[in-house]
Amino acid sequence: MENIENSRRKFLKIASHALGGTLAAGIAVPLVGLAIHPWMRETVYGTEDFIHIGKMDDFPIGIPKKMTVTSSKMDAWNIFEGLVMGSVWVVRRGDNSLNVFSTNCPHLGCGIDWGADVNQFLCPCHGGVFDVNGKKISGPAPRDLYSFGTKVENNNVFVSYKRAI
Amino acid sequence: MANKLREWIEDRTGLNNFLKIALDEPVHGGAKWSYVFGSGLVFLFILQAVTGIVMAGFYSPSSTSAWGSVYYLQEKTSFGWFIRGLHHFGSSAMIILAVVHMFQVFIFGAYKKPRELNWISGVILLLFLLGFGLTGYLLPWDQKGYWATQVATNIIETIPVIGNYIKILTQGGSDYGNFTLTRFYSIHVFLLPLSLLFFLFIHIALFRKHGVTPYWKMKEEILHNRVDPFWPDQMFKDIVFAIGMYAILAGWVFWNKGAELLAPADPASNFLARPEWYFLSLFQLLKYCQGKFLIVGTVIIPTLAMIFLFVLPFIDRNVSRYPSKRVPVFCAVFSGLVGVVALTAVAIIHDSHDVHIQHQKEDSEKQAARAMKLAAKGVPPAGGMFIFLADPVRLGEKIFKESCNGCHMLRGEGGETASDFTNFGAREWVSELLKNPKDAKYFKESGAMPPVKLPDESLLDMAEFLLSQSGNLLNMNTDRLERGKELVLKGNCVICHPFGDKEAKKVAPNLTGYLSETWLKEFIKNPADLKFYGARNKMPAFEGKFTDRELDALIQYLFTLSKDRILISRKEECGKRLTTTSCGQQKPRRENVHLV
Repeated sequence: MENIENSRRKFLKIASHALGGTLAAGIAVPLVGLAIHPWMRETVYGTEDFIHIGKMDDFPIGIPKKMTVTSSKMDAWNIFEGLVMGSVWVVRRGDNSLNVFSTNCPHLGCGIDWGADVNQFLCPCHGGVFDVNGKKISGPAPRDLYSFGTKVENNNVFVSYKRAI
Repeated sequence: MANKLREWIEDRTGLNNFLKIALDEPVHGGAKWSYVFGSGLVFLFILQAVTGIVMAGFYSPSSTSAWGSVYYLQEKTSFGWFIRGLHHFGSSAMIILAVVHMFQVFIFGAYKKPRELNWISGVILLLFLLGFGLTGYLLPWDQKGYWATQVATNIIETIPVIGNYIKILTQGGSDYGNFTLTRFYSIHVFLLPLSLLFFLFIHIALFRKHGVTPYWKMKEEILHNRVDPFWPDQMFKDIVFAIGMYAILAGWVFWNKGAELLAPADPASNFLARPEWYFLSLFQLLKYCQGKFLIVGTVIIPTLAMIFLFVLPFIDRNVSRYPSKRVPVFCAVFSGLVGVVALTAVAIIHDSHDVHIQHQKEDSEKQAARAMKLAAKGVPPAGGMFIFLADPVRLGEKIFKESCNGCHMLRGEGGETASDFTNFGAREWVSELLKNPKDAKYFKESGAMPPVKLPDESLLDMAEFLLSQSGNLLNMNTDRLERGKELVLKGNCVICHPFGDKEAKKVAPNLTGYLSETWLKEFIKNPADLKFYGARNKMPAFEGKFTDRELDALIQYLFTLSKDRILISRKEECGKRLTTTSCGQQKPRRENVHLV
C-alpha cells in the first residue's frame, strides 16, 4: 500500500513538472516574443531613404550651397513630420553631377563654412581646409569631407542622408 | 557543481525549509478537484501580472499617446495582439472564476466560524478585481473605454455630498484628460496590484491556518485519517486545471483575433457607452432607477449587496454546513445571482434587438478598421484622433451628416424630403430610379420623369452605361455597357436629357458624366442650374458654402455609400485597371470604405 502510494506520488511529481513546464513555456514564448520586439524591428527611423533637398536649378555650378535636410521620423507609433535632420553642402559640377558633403568637419565635428574669397571649405575650430571637391588640403582632419549619396529624378535632387561615406 | 551551489544557497537562506513549509501543507480528507478554484485564481493573477508587465513596456499613459501605443502593440508587434488578448479576456476569466470560487466556498459553508475573515478578505479581493476591470477598460483610450468609463465616473458623482470631490480626484480634474489616464494607470498597475497582493497574502495565510473545508458529508474519521500532502497531490490537480484554463483562454483569444481596439476616443462624438459584460447588470439596473431614484441603482443597491456579502458569515451562524439546513441564506444568495444574471441577459437582449445600437456597432467597427489603416502611416504627435483629420472620407461623412442627412435619408436615418442615399450611386440604385422615379425612395410626387418600362435586366444595362461615365465604376461589364448605351442613346432618354455636351441644356438634367466627381460637384454647387433641375429644383445650392477640400471630401464619402464605386484616391493607386483585375475586384463594400 505504502509502495503504491509512493510510486503514485513519484508519478504525480514527474507529471506535475512536465505539465508545469509546458504551461510555463506556453506562456513564456509569446511574452518573450513580445518583449524582444526592438530586436526584431526598427522602432525609430526616418521614413525616407532619399530626402528631397531642392531642384537642380537651385544649385549654381561650382558654388557650394548649404541646404537644410528635413524629413519625417517614425518613433514607434508616432510620425513626426518636417523635422530638421541637419544640413549639407551641395556642389554642382560642370557635368551636372553633384557632390553633397556633410557640414561637419571630419576632425572633431565643427560646422564647416565656405570661404567664397578663397574658394575653399574652412573649418573655424582648428583651421582645417578642404577644396571644392571635399579633398583635404591642410589642417588636422584625418580625411576628406564626409559625403552623401545623391539621386536626381525629373530635375529633383534627393540625398541619402542616412550614412556618410 | 549544481549540488554545491544548492548547498551554498541553502546554508545562507534556508530555502529548502521554506519550500517545505510552503509545499508540505497537509490536505485533510485528501486532495480534491473542488479545491482547484483558489489556486486557479492565483495562476490567473500571475498571468495578468506578467502579461501586464510586458505590455507596460509598450504602453504610454497620456491622452495623446495612449491609443497610438496600444495600436502599435496590437498591430505592429509579433505577439502584442495575443498578449493583450490574454490580458483582456483573462480579466473576464478571473471574474468568472472568482464567482465560481465564491459559490463553491458558499455552498460548502467554508465561511463559517472560524473562517469569517477568510470570507471577508475574499470579498475584498473580488472588489479589487472589479477595480482592475474598471480602470483597465479606459487605458486604451478608445471610444469604448472612454465612453463606458464616463458612465462609471459619473456614477461616483451621485454619491451624496462627497461624490463630486471623489470624482474630481479619480479623474484628475473636472474633465477627462492626461491626468485621468495617469491616475487610472497608477491605480491599475501599482495601487491595486499591491493591495491585492497584501490581501491575497492574508487570504492564503488564513486558509493555511484553518485548512480546507471538505464536502459537508465527509465523515470525521476520513477527515482525520486521510491526509494528502499539498505537493504533489493537490498541486497536480491545480496544474492540470491551470493548463485547461490557459488552453481555453488562448483558444478564445485566437477565436476572437485578440481584444478589440476601437477608434481613438473622440470627446465630441456621442458614442453609445456599454460597460464590460460583468458590469452590465449594474448598468441595466440604472435604467430602472431614473430621476431622484438614480441613487438607488448607483449607490444603495450595490452597497447593500456588498454589506450582505461582508456580513454573511455572521448571519449564517448555524454550525451545520448541510445546505438543507441553510435554506434561507441559499435563497437569498441564489436570488441575488438570478437577479444579476437576469439583468445582464435583459441588457444583452435589449441591445441585440435595437437597430440603432446595431447600426452604431457596425459604424464603430468600420471606424475602427479605418483608424487602423490610417494609423499604419503613423499617428500624429497631437494624438490618435488626429489620424482622421487628413482623412477625406471621415470629413465627408461629417459634412454629409451636418448638411445633407437632414433631407437625404441614409440607412434608415435622416430626413425624407429628398431621395434616399442608402446605396447611393450603385447599379441597383440607378436601375430602381429608372423603374420608378416617383418612388418614395427617389423623387416622390415631384418626380416629372415617366418610369422606364423595360425589364429589370435592361434597366441594369442602362445603369451600367450611365455609371460607366463616372470613371470609377467597379468591375465594369462591357456587354451590358454596350446594350445600355444603345438603350439610352437610341431610346427616349435623350429627348429630355442632354448627352455628350456637358453644358447642353434641355428640360431634364444633363447626364454627361452622370454621378462622376465633376458632375456631382457642379450639381451640389448649384442644382438649380439650367443644365440640371432648373426651375423644378428643390435642393439648396452649396456654392460657396463648402471649401474645395470639403467638397472633395463629401464626394469621396458619397462614393463609399455603394459597393459599386471606388474611391478616387484608391483609383489613382489602381491605375486604369478598373475593368480588369486585382483592384477592388473582391472588395465588398465594408472593405472599400477602408481603402484610401
